[in-house]
Amino acid sequence: MKAGERPERIYLHPLVVRLWHWLNAACFIVLIITGIQIRYRELPALTEFKTSVAIHNFFGFLLLAAYAVWLLYYLLSGNIRIYFPRNIMGFISGMLRQARYYAYGIFKGEPAPFHSTPEDKFNPMQLIAYFFVMFLLLPLQIATGVLLWDVVLFARPIGLAGGIRVVDIIHVLVSFFTVAFLVVHVYMTTLGRTPLEHIRAMLTGYEEDHV
Amino acid sequence: MTCHLSKGLSAAFSNGEKMSVFVDGAAFRNTVHKGLQCTDCHPKTVPGTHPGSVYASREAFSRDASAACLRCHDKGQITAKPHHAFTAAGGDVPPCTACHGGHGIRRISALASGLTENQYCLLCHGQRIGKTLRNGDWISLLIDTTDLAASVHNRHACSQCHAGYTRQRHPSARHGDSREHSIALSGVCAGCHDNKAAAVRNSVHYNLYLQLGETMISRGNPRAPVCTDCHGFHEVGPAALFRTLSGTPCRKCHAAVFEVYAKSVHGMASAQGKHAAPLCSSCHFAHDIGFTAGTGKMKAACIGCHEKVEESHRKWLPNADLHLSVIACAACHAPKAEKGIYLILHDQAKNRPVTREDLIDLLGADAAKLAPLVDRHGEGLDSAELSYMLRRLEEKGLGTGVTFLGRMDVNRYSDAHALSLKKGAVRECVSCHAPDAPFLKNVNVAIINAPEGMTRLRAAPGVLKSAGAVGALRQFYMLGGTRLSLLDWFGLAVVGGAVAVVGLHLAVRMATAQGRRARTGGIT
Repeated sequence: MKAGERPERIYLHPLVVRLWHWLNAACFIVLIITGIQIRYRELPALTEFKTSVAIHNFFGFLLLAAYAVWLLYYLLSGNIRIYFPRNIMGFISGMLRQARYYAYGIFKGEPAPFHSTPEDKFNPMQLIAYFFVMFLLLPLQIATGVLLWDVVLFARPIGLAGGIRVVDIIHVLVSFFTVAFLVVHVYMTTLGRTPLEHIRAMLTGYEEDHV
Repeated sequence: MTCHLSKGLSAAFSNGEKMSVFVDGAAFRNTVHKGLQCTDCHPKTVPGTHPGSVYASREAFSRDASAACLRCHDKGQITAKPHHAFTAAGGDVPPCTACHGGHGIRRISALASGLTENQYCLLCHGQRIGKTLRNGDWISLLIDTTDLAASVHNRHACSQCHAGYTRQRHPSARHGDSREHSIALSGVCAGCHDNKAAAVRNSVHYNLYLQLGETMISRGNPRAPVCTDCHGFHEVGPAALFRTLSGTPCRKCHAAVFEVYAKSVHGMASAQGKHAAPLCSSCHFAHDIGFTAGTGKMKAACIGCHEKVEESHRKWLPNADLHLSVIACAACHAPKAEKGIYLILHDQAKNRPVTREDLIDLLGADAAKLAPLVDRHGEGLDSAELSYMLRRLEEKGLGTGVTFLGRMDVNRYSDAHALSLKKGAVRECVSCHAPDAPFLKNVNVAIINAPEGMTRLRAAPGVLKSAGAVGALRQFYMLGGTRLSLLDWFGLAVVGGAVAVVGLHLAVRMATAQGRRARTGGIT
């Protein structure tokens, strides 16, 4: 943007989406911390083992509820299509452009190749990441979490899934990928014109588009 | 006879006993000895010095007098009858007069018509008679009439148990030793108590073996108890007797367990006479006693009295139902007991344990060779050997439904009886959910073979945390205790990689910030 230009403000994140996002974020953080406490008993304990399990279970179900709200909202509003590419060739070329930007152009101060709109919110790399998180990782994490919550009640589906060991391994693996996603996601939010631009947008709903 | 026709005269013995010296002349003239003179049986009686002899006791007198019988009835004649033969062979046999009488002497068979069956039998068996067994042991055949009168069988005729013995017929059975004698006689109990006998035939007592290769009592092992070991022979008491601490017969063979039990919360309550306190048969049952470790039987016994245990555990214990299904009650309620993990081979399709016999049949080994067949290195079953065991069973037809189910239990059976007061039970989660919990180093593969027992094959301690055992142990997991270190390394790589990429990107951004400011007029 040149000096004197005013950025255009776009209403990108409706209230429901913002509420869901921050609730989701809180759940992620609490679940990761309590998950570490449960799994790695040799680390300094913030709470009793039983308390960590109780908190983990509570926030797990909160995450399930949040996911249900997200899914309902996006299905009923029709906006779920923002998680899917419109055409494959455009998606692939867009992804290559975006990857180049992140790997090189951003260091040179080049303008971002993608501009978000309410109908096309995610750049191709965001799209593929969020697609995997929302349609694969999170459902898998929630499903395995529910099974592990009561292995007696869910003995049969656990058996069909290959046994409790298999369910637990999936749950732990997904949690590692979730932590990795969180690290990258938090960093990526700082890649706006200012470090807090995107975070502010997720609080106010308005993104500044520097066209 | 002038003196001995008088009913008032008696002889005194050194021990203070007195005996009437009256002789019923009429009764004597009715006996086979009616033609004998007094001195024919009492050769020491000399008119000038009589009475002169002083005997220590009435029995001493009877013995001395009975010695006279041999003057006419030599040993050959006496031992011709089988039931005289072995009583005369040795031991503390009663004098002839004890059974046959003194002056009113009769053949025992002649006495039969005037007596009930039991009175007739007790003519001899009320005396200190016995018999010598083939191994040379002498056993008493004396029936304590006080015990018999007090028993629950006091209205039974002798022949109801001792079938084949009548007033007319007294066969002679000589067993090899006293144990064989007990086992043989216990066989009669099933005649009336067939349901109890059937229960015993399914029990660990009937099918006992102490180690691989030893035979079972059903095939002749004499070490296992039979009916009379617990109930006695003629002194069988009422069922209520067995519901008291002092009346429990199990102590005879299980003294070590009894000692532990006596100090437990149940033992102390029993000693205080609390009727609800359990005794051995409360948990193990009286006749169909089965091996309980690793099975749900013991838990069912606990819940039989502690009905609300599931509800009460759910108030404070997360995943209470899971805990109750995989942990033996004693593992938490006998807090000082050494515990271990027992991986029980389970056929999920048939929903029952895979037994030792199944393994022997399927793997083609006998009992003694089972352990070396599966634990090929002799260092405890590792993940490869566990997987090998499952694969062989699958190949042999058990299908893919065979897996190991993990249970926590105490290692020594006696410890399972050392139950503490409620406040002493384990309640801290970290007692178990810790990577260095002691029981995680004591891992066994348990092959159930109820009702006899459980074969334990030691597993390598690291097997629970081995990635190679995930397939074999797919149904066993313990929070905080069975982490796969391979998974942790993978996690470290994934998260570490993300942090590294982000860190690198940030570093390059910071390094190139000045250049960007110059190109974009102040915007970075």
